[in-house]
Amino acid sequence: MTHNKEAESFLPLTPAMFHILLALADGEKHGYAILKEVARRTADKVKLSAGTLYGNLSRLESEGLIAESNHRPEVGLDDERRRYYRLTEFGRAVAVAEAQRMGQALVQARAKKLFRKPKLA
Amino acid sequence: MQTQNDSFSQKLFRFLVRLLPFDFRINYQGEMEGVFREQQREVAERGGFWDVLKLWKETIVGIFTTAPREHWEILLNDCAYALRMMRKHPGFTVIAILTLALGIGANTAIFSVVHAVLLRPLPYPDGHQLIFLRQQQNKLGIDDIQFSVHEIQDFREQNHNLSGLVEFHAMSFILYGHGDPDRVRTGVVSWNFFDLFGVQPILGRTFQPADEEPGAAPVLLLSYDYWKNNFGADQNIVGKTFEMNDKVHTVIGVLPPVPQYPNENDIYMPTSACPFRSAQKFIEDRDARMMEAFGRLKPGVSLAQASAEMSTIASRLKSTYAKSYPDNVGYQASTTALERELTKDARPTLLLLLAAAAFVLLIACANVANLTLSRMARREREMAVRSALGAGRSRLLRQLLTESFLLALIGGLLGLSLAYQSLHLLTDFAARLTPRAHEIQIDTRVLLFTLVAALGSSIVFGTLSALFFRSNLTASLKDGSSAAGTGRKQNRVRSVLIVCQVAFSFMLLIGAGLMFRSLLKMQQVEAGIVPQRVLALRTTLSFSKYTTRDQYLVFISKLLDRLKAEPGVLSVAISGRYPFEPEFIAGGAQGVSFSFEVEGRPIQPGQAPPVTTFAAVSPDYFQTLKIPLKEGRLFTENDDDKGPAVVLINEAMKHQLWPNQDPVGKRVSGDGGQHWAQIIGVVGDVREFGLEHPPLPEVYAPQKLNPQPGVVLVRTAAEPTRLAKTLTAAIHEIDPQIAVTRVKTVEQARYESMANPRVTASLLALFAGLALMIAMAGIGGIMALNVSQRVREIGIRIALGARPRNIVRMVLGQGLILTLLGIGIGVTGAMALSGLVKSLLFEVPPTDVLTFCGVGLTLLAAAVIASYLPARRAAAIDPNHALRSE
Repeated sequence: MTHNKEAESFLPLTPAMFHILLALADGEKHGYAILKEVARRTADKVKLSAGTLYGNLSRLESEGLIAESNHRPEVGLDDERRRYYRLTEFGRAVAVAEAQRMGQALVQARAKKLFRKPKLA
Repeated sequence: MQTQNDSFSQKLFRFLVRLLPFDFRINYQGEMEGVFREQQREVAERGGFWDVLKLWKETIVGIFTTAPREHWEILLNDCAYALRMMRKHPGFTVIAILTLALGIGANTAIFSVVHAVLLRPLPYPDGHQLIFLRQQQNKLGIDDIQFSVHEIQDFREQNHNLSGLVEFHAMSFILYGHGDPDRVRTGVVSWNFFDLFGVQPILGRTFQPADEEPGAAPVLLLSYDYWKNNFGADQNIVGKTFEMNDKVHTVIGVLPPVPQYPNENDIYMPTSACPFRSAQKFIEDRDARMMEAFGRLKPGVSLAQASAEMSTIASRLKSTYAKSYPDNVGYQASTTALERELTKDARPTLLLLLAAAAFVLLIACANVANLTLSRMARREREMAVRSALGAGRSRLLRQLLTESFLLALIGGLLGLSLAYQSLHLLTDFAARLTPRAHEIQIDTRVLLFTLVAALGSSIVFGTLSALFFRSNLTASLKDGSSAAGTGRKQNRVRSVLIVCQVAFSFMLLIGAGLMFRSLLKMQQVEAGIVPQRVLALRTTLSFSKYTTRDQYLVFISKLLDRLKAEPGVLSVAISGRYPFEPEFIAGGAQGVSFSFEVEGRPIQPGQAPPVTTFAAVSPDYFQTLKIPLKEGRLFTENDDDKGPAVVLINEAMKHQLWPNQDPVGKRVSGDGGQHWAQIIGVVGDVREFGLEHPPLPEVYAPQKLNPQPGVVLVRTAAEPTRLAKTLTAAIHEIDPQIAVTRVKTVEQARYESMANPRVTASLLALFAGLALMIAMAGIGGIMALNVSQRVREIGIRIALGARPRNIVRMVLGQGLILTLLGIGIGVTGAMALSGLVKSLLFEVPPTDVLTFCGVGLTLLAAAVIASYLPARRAAAIDPNHALRSE
């Protein structure tokens, strides 16, 4: 319960933050991979630069939503200079809470028939 | 080619990344460079120029949005941490904030005055173009002889550098038709006076050329204050009429609340409405001078150019009208920027006070730096832990500076409120020095100054303390105790700071000491009169009612008889002015000076004639003010126009012209030998124009020959102010239309004449007192710290047989050495800065030995007192305990 409350205190997330969390939902990634994934999934609508990416990563890391991962790829595929990030349990809770918030907004929009074209008299 | 390109863009990227906080870069810079490299590679594969441009745009925007956010975040964290630290050390926090508040408050207060009076442009459009014109008689030492109507016209017509030249003179008239007859200060001005200054009326209009035509219907402009205070800001005032000088005057407008230069007036009228200025005889007389002249430079014309042209015109006048400008007076004309002219009296005093306030702030900074250093010694472990946890040195420095700034900011806010409280006192003070005092306020610039002062101080004491705290933080973690080497280094820095504090305190104390010595000297000066129990009442007669000399004489005789009959009155006199009268002190002796010649001593061509001040007095003037008769006799009631013209002179004049002779019986002339007056006696000297000015040669003439019923002087048996009402009523019995104003005792006027040096000395003393307190606290603090660091050593000394007396002497000695060093530097500094106070001192040299010795001894005594407590504590150290504890 308190966990949930704490997670909700982060809402609403900025689109960049939400998409970074989403990018890490299916496994750890390094910075450039996150950037690529976000761009691909949002069809370039959310474009992160090096500055905004690491600004967001720094904040998410200090709030405990993500953490540096100890798992690294096999030696042949690894680049030592890269750091890998993973979603923490708390980060996942925040992402879920944000997704639910957006889901509820969608339900309400549907209930108000926002998507249907208005009938002309 | 490709690699070169790469390395250039990487360099550029790295340069941009430097905008991010240090900690952030430590964590992410390598990765960011990697990501950027990947992005570049990708863009290069696609090969489009626009893609490259887009990447750069996104990168730059990204860094510029991230950097401020990251810095802000760190600032918030640091502030929160600093506030926690401040709560944890309330003693340090309170002392540091109070010290800084006093320093910043003193500076803000003085700066608000300096800013309004010296720095801000005049509150008129293009105020820098306004100039003040002046004619001088250099050989007579007269700096401003004013202008006659002809001269105003000549300078106006012959110059090419001014877009306008206007005249001004001040008069007092009586205004009827609004309650009691009201004596109004009247500015008589050219029709375009306000246009030249760029002043727009808030009601009605200003003057037009037709208003100044001879015989035009008299019109008036009201000043904002007079309109508000006397007419309750009546919106329908325009068109109302008042009687003045036997004529009906119509109000045509009200001026806005702009500062009035050259002096405050209640109303303004055009030159044609002034009965003196419009008299045909006055207009025709080239030598009848009473006006000031102001001009506005044409755009692009410099002051020097205008001044040079005025000189040329003056030489032309000199060759054309040789009689009006004789060779022997050194006639010249020049111009000054109006800004300079209006602030010339205030400048030296204000600059001295600003320097004093700056010194107080420097001392405060040194003291807070010392406090911070002492506290830092206790925080070494905390810093070392933070450093071990990954905080870089610059990160710690940033944290310390944030703490410093927060302290200074709170101190600054407190200082601002102190300055705000003292503002009306300062305005009153500055009003004695300059007409610009009314512009003093705490505005955005002053607030900005406070912020800069706070920021500056925090940088000074923050950096001082941060730079000298232990550089080897890990060492302090390892050994746990304070390392001796760095401890010594810190102590040295602290000692230097103490020496600086003492040196600055010394200089401030010297400033205050000199001003007080000067004030004391001034108070001891013989004024030449007995000012106690004499009341002065300024009377203004209606010029239109008293038109002949006989009318004046009848009035004077009636007045003297009536007032003498009043119980409690010992003697009564009438004079044109009285010693220490504020208006005449402000105007100086020049306004009442004239040149004359002595019978049998014709003035040779090229030789300057003697100059004297002049006063017309009734016979009892000398008895009323108790001015002693030295030779000959005083005036009697029989010295009138029926007998020969007679005058009295003072001793200064006797010494100048007849040093070894008896002047009684000699004759002098003020009109080139047309009329001669015989000297019938010599009276004592009077320092009429302020105690600091030596007595000038003076000629007294009887009122019966020169009726000038300006001021009534009454010597009373008891406290004179109690008779003020009765005397005013008695004057009104003779003529109810006389305005009786500026009722004040001569003693009061004498006291007020010293207000300037008194306030300057008090402010300096306040600053010096603050400095002394701060320095004492500093010396005491460092001695206490010294003792606490040397407990072991002192313990050993005591164990080896040192007596408590020796220990006390040792500690006191150290305090005294620092103080002596400070005094040494202070003496040099005070000598170097002596020029700053020189012009403000009276009969005291700026390197006055007595003051220097006195201040030195005061500081030494203060150092002994401050070091005594730590010395006692040192002497009381128990050697057993001290040796075991470490």
